[in-house]
Amino acid sequence: MTRSRNANLFLLVAGAILLVVLALLFAAVPEADGARDWTAPLIQRGWMAWTFPTGLFFIIIATLLVVFTWAAIRFPETPRLGILRIETTRGDRLFITLLGSAFISLAWLAAFGSPLWGALVLCLIYAAAVFRWV
Amino acid sequence: MNKTVNQKAWFLVLPVLVLVAFSAVIPLMTVVNYSVQDTFGNNDFFWAGFDWFDEMIHSDRLHAALGRQVLFSAIILAIEVPLGIFIALNMPKKGFWSSVTLVLMALPLLIPWNVVGTIWQIFGRVDIGLLGHALASLGFDYNYTNDALDAWATVIVMDVWHWTSLVALLCYAGLQSIPQAYYQAARIDQATRWKVFRYIELPKMSGVLLIAILLRFMDSFMIYTEPFVVTGGGPGNATTFLSIDLVKMAVGQFDLGPAAAFSIMYFLVILLVSWVFYTVMTNFDKEEGL
Repeated sequence: MTRSRNANLFLLVAGAILLVVLALLFAAVPEADGARDWTAPLIQRGWMAWTFPTGLFFIIIATLLVVFTWAAIRFPETPRLGILRIETTRGDRLFITLLGSAFISLAWLAAFGSPLWGALVLCLIYAAAVFRWV
Repeated sequence: MNKTVNQKAWFLVLPVLVLVAFSAVIPLMTVVNYSVQDTFGNNDFFWAGFDWFDEMIHSDRLHAALGRQVLFSAIILAIEVPLGIFIALNMPKKGFWSSVTLVLMALPLLIPWNVVGTIWQIFGRVDIGLLGHALASLGFDYNYTNDALDAWATVIVMDVWHWTSLVALLCYAGLQSIPQAYYQAARIDQATRWKVFRYIELPKMSGVLLIAILLRFMDSFMIYTEPFVVTGGGPGNATTFLSIDLVKMAVGQFDLGPAAAFSIMYFLVILLVSWVFYTVMTNFDKEEGL
């Protein structure tokens, strides 16, 4: 059972790193007039121009990658043939979900403009559909 | 035979991961950060939300550049793929002349993009260029610096000159790998030249042909250097393709926010197309294997 132990160890270490990064991200949000300014640059004049929302976005992507890597080691799977008639694994379906979600959000922006909460709901439905049928 | 699973080999990928992070992932993250903010220089940034995406997706300028880009890619594919196949079919199969043709065909591929651009920039000039001068002497009103159609023709002929060899060489390799037995069987059946092409050569070539189309599509969709050197995107905006427009916006006007939103959308389109091609190709290989 070293395989599953390795997988869990990986999840633990990567999860701990991600949590530390998340904590640092929260701590770095600057204050303005007594309240936290969630969209201000985290590091003034830093060339990468990090903000809390974009940082959170990449942490979510990284978390997804970690979880899917862990799942791939812990619960190995065989690719399956879905409605697109192509063989997909969980990782492929994640990629299709993320790429499709980007286009759904852009389409929403083109049709209705900001805010994108409706697009997020659509993306979640799309994600569920992709994992169920593709 | 049981293979032992050794995941430690993954650590050997680490150097590549670090390099890619340094050269691609971190810059890409920065672009994402820029795309939701506004700046007036001096590395001072202000939150803009999805405004840039909203602006870019409704921008006529981007739509026009995208239209030109798609048209350009479609035209060069429509010329280079059939021409490449035709050349490959007529190249000598063995002997001295096959080596000579191979070297000659490979020559344009070895020339750097900006040199190709410079060659054609001068070649097409009416005052000192061979092509421009010859066309002018023949009575054609050819001038790629002030006529949009001439500029398009020049850029397309240049791309065909530069890259048809790639398609031809790939098809040639595909043709060479067809066993003689197929041709013998076709001769016994008294198949016409067209039928040999349609039912033997084309199906056997389709794998490499798909790779050739993918490579040519991606390269032409991201083309920058050659049209930039020859026409600079002009006359007006006639040959301003996506990447030329992107560079104008990001480096020329220093509109980092809109340019970042633009490049993310550009990146998404390329990612989608690459994925579709990759999926078609891998599934194609599986069907071949059956």
